[in-house]
Amino acid sequence: MTKKKSPILKIFIFFIIIETALVFVSSGFNKQLQIGFDDGKFVFRNIQSHYDLQEKITEEFQIDEYYRQNGETPKIYGSNKTYEFFKNIFGKTTAIGTFQLLRMLLIVDILLLFIALLIKKKLLKRPSQPQILFEMVYTALEQFVTETLGKEKVNFTPYIVTLFLFIWVSNMIGMIPIPGFMEPTRNLNVPLGLGILAVSIVHITAIKVKGVWGHLKNYVNPVKNPLFLLDIIGEISKVVSISFRLFGNILGGAIIITVVSSLVSYVVLPVGLILFFGLFVGTIQAFVFTMLALTYIGVEISE
Amino acid sequence: MDNITLAQGIVKAAALLGAGMCMGMGALGPGVGEGFVAGKACEGIARSPENASLITRTMLVGQAVSESTGIYSLVIALLLIFST
Repeated sequence: MTKKKSPILKIFIFFIIIETALVFVSSGFNKQLQIGFDDGKFVFRNIQSHYDLQEKITEEFQIDEYYRQNGETPKIYGSNKTYEFFKNIFGKTTAIGTFQLLRMLLIVDILLLFIALLIKKKLLKRPSQPQILFEMVYTALEQFVTETLGKEKVNFTPYIVTLFLFIWVSNMIGMIPIPGFMEPTRNLNVPLGLGILAVSIVHITAIKVKGVWGHLKNYVNPVKNPLFLLDIIGEISKVVSISFRLFGNILGGAIIITVVSSLVSYVVLPVGLILFFGLFVGTIQAFVFTMLALTYIGVEISE
Repeated sequence: MDNITLAQGIVKAAALLGAGMCMGMGALGPGVGEGFVAGKACEGIARSPENASLITRTMLVGQAVSESTGIYSLVIALLLIFST
């Protein structure tokens, strides 16, 4: 047992003291402390702020509904021209949500492309550190694919790795504290699209392996399989269960972070909440989505 | 929350009550299920410690799958709260 405190604990205690002092200085939870420069002078003062939890949640999670109720001019993070373009296509009622979602999806895509180009540029025999990291991810997922589908179906690995990396980066990107940043998986359309894609790939693979009639006779042959309607409903419920699981986990985590952070007035606890709901649940859900897509393919192929 | 009629108020109150009951009852099943899975995984690791990583992975996937019913009730509760 060493008597030295670890540096992380020191930093943690330091931040607790600073934040508690700031809360006491600002004297009251409905006030906001303004520190910074105003008209060329240094400012350290209280501002009376209007804060309503219900309004905050509506603004965070149903942004179109919020602006429809309040009728204010929307605050757009991003290019105004692009927003006008989207407003012409989607109409005024749902333009902001669509714009934010597409913006976040583009950011995720550009990030993934950038990382891929950066890694590909410096592929070495003796790998550098980032290359080792990505080779580890690829090898681990390749091993899962080999275990589930067998040696000859190892060409599914790129799809599985892409699915995992896309969902993981989408879940992680909400932790970056930049205004307007949110997880794209928080919107139902993204997980639903990924789920429909996964189940379509399952059926296309089954048709490739067993032939069109060999696959369809499981579903449309009332003599052999009297309960074929239930099988069709089961296929639809696959999409629903796989996509709602991801969506509900991410949205529920984000709502819990918002509500509990505002209850403790943003002192220390949000760090732990974000570590649990952002990092842990995000990683587990990305992994579960990938594993379930892999298992669906494996079940169809193995028969 | 400005001017709402009595009927709208009753609907809102019923939706909030329903959301609370939905979450409370929907959390029962996943709680029992996840605890069961974790207990069985503990037994498995105690019996064969060399398979610990495989058992942990399977346990996490199984827990996430059995958690999904709780997530459905969460989605329903959110619908009840925000859309009425």
